[in-house]
Amino acid sequence: MVSQPEELKSKVSSRTYIDKTQMAGLWFALPAALALLVVVAYPLLYGFYISLFETNLLNRWDFVWFKNYARIFTSADFLGTIFTTLKFTTGTVAGQFFIGLTLALLLNTKVPGRAFFRTILIVPWLFPEVVVALLWKWMFNPLYGLFNDVLLKLGVIAEPTSWLGSTETALPSVILVAIWKGYPLVMLLMLAGLQAIPQEQYESAEIDGASWWQSLWFVTLPNLRNVIMISLILNTVWWFKHFAIIWVLTQGGPITATSVISIDIYKTAFESFRFGPAAALAVVVFFIVFLISIGYQKLLGERQ
Amino acid sequence: MTLKQRRRWQLTAVFIALAIASAFVIVPVLWMFSTSIKTIEEMFSLPLKWIPDTVSWDAYKRIWTDYPFGQYIFNSLFVVSGATIISLLVSCLAGYGASRFRFLGRTAFLTFLLITQMFPSIMLLIPYFKLMKTLGLINTYGGLILAYVSFTIPLASWLMLGYFESIPKELDAAASIDGASRFRIFWQIIMPLALPGAAATAIYAFIVGWNEYIFALVLASDVKMKTVPVGIGELIGQYRIAWNDMMAVALVVSIPLIAIFLYLQKYLVSSLTAGAVKG
Repeated sequence: MVSQPEELKSKVSSRTYIDKTQMAGLWFALPAALALLVVVAYPLLYGFYISLFETNLLNRWDFVWFKNYARIFTSADFLGTIFTTLKFTTGTVAGQFFIGLTLALLLNTKVPGRAFFRTILIVPWLFPEVVVALLWKWMFNPLYGLFNDVLLKLGVIAEPTSWLGSTETALPSVILVAIWKGYPLVMLLMLAGLQAIPQEQYESAEIDGASWWQSLWFVTLPNLRNVIMISLILNTVWWFKHFAIIWVLTQGGPITATSVISIDIYKTAFESFRFGPAAALAVVVFFIVFLISIGYQKLLGERQ
Repeated sequence: MTLKQRRRWQLTAVFIALAIASAFVIVPVLWMFSTSIKTIEEMFSLPLKWIPDTVSWDAYKRIWTDYPFGQYIFNSLFVVSGATIISLLVSCLAGYGASRFRFLGRTAFLTFLLITQMFPSIMLLIPYFKLMKTLGLINTYGGLILAYVSFTIPLASWLMLGYFESIPKELDAAASIDGASRFRIFWQIIMPLALPGAAATAIYAFIVGWNEYIFALVLASDVKMKTVPVGIGELIGQYRIAWNDMMAVALVVSIPLIAIFLYLQKYLVSSLTAGAVKG
């Protein structure tokens, strides 16, 4: 039994390797942590500080305690903005989810040309948001836009429509563009999730006589639970605070039809120079987003 | 209908559905290209034509002569490269540390990375605007790089953490028995294995930086400092909207990155989705 002490020794040394050196990880994480303290944590706190003032950031700094917050929660405009933001976020996230999941299911078959289709279908996600917005602004052009042209030819509409110019159609149009830009990420996540599902589960479902819908409901979706949760949370968080596409397409208009919270904050801060109320709005958004993601986790976590 | 026939019908239906979906991508992008090779007159004429009577490549020349896009592209390249390099360096260290060690504050660090995803960039924008004004960093490359690492470091750290998790920890243990220092293990043994992940991470960080809009909109208003997305965005506010020029420039600044991504897609996509699938 000569080998036993040797074995024991190596076990001990790998043990101490783990125990003694845990704090070494701190040194590795330190540069990132310090950088984030400087560029994220400190500015965040400073932003909160600004939210307690009525200020133009130059010569006027009136400390007003939580008056900016009180004003937010009692103003009808804020409720309207939040409602618009919720409609935008829900429409975008739901649309991206259904299109992304459907396309992932279609791509996860033995269809000929699937690599080609996948490549094409990723493309919208790779265009910069500003470019996507610009492209669709041109597509939606009332006179020379391709969108109207196609719909007219198909007989869907009888006369050219100003999609971004009317308070009724502006928000759905903006949502359409956001879905177009963002569905590929959902599709890729779902596809990766689908490919990780063990094939045997489908085979045993088939032996049990499950229909396609049944195996989707009882095999596919439960297996995708994690991926679905992650993509819903990330997407909701991202699109709730979205700015660029809407700003380029409509600047929040017509009137306030597409004025989501980010647009409202931007205008309050950098057009009206009321930085205190804008900073307070931003803090409120942070907490809303935080609550949403906790809510999702609870909701999807309880299913299991 | 036999089973085989039914399978074939199903695949045909799937093929048609995917072809229709792809058309929703291809048609707008082709329309972009078609617009970019039209003259002003043809761009504003009905009925709409896919192939113009006179094919004109002038828009692709005007980008460089009539607009400062050469300058904008240089600004974007400089700022985004700077932010990418910084975030790659610190995120490789942080990703390695968080994947190998259970140190005090690790959970707090990871939670903080997640929380950075939650607040609106506008929340940082207002304090940035004030702080950078005080420090004289408005309209400087340094200021923009600082703002950009605020979102590229968390992204890169998450991606690198996922990649380091996939490298067996036994390698560290073996090297440690041989007496190598912690940093040497990281630098000479693990890092070479993590290079593919680092490359993917760098590409992602570069793409999000390249596409960033709102920070640059506020922090770099000087014409000499503007980034590409801001330059493109402001074209729309001009009195005479030259859609052909806009579509040309939109394609020129998007296609290189799209080509690189699609060329490496297999590899880039797996590094992005790894974390989500593992859950």
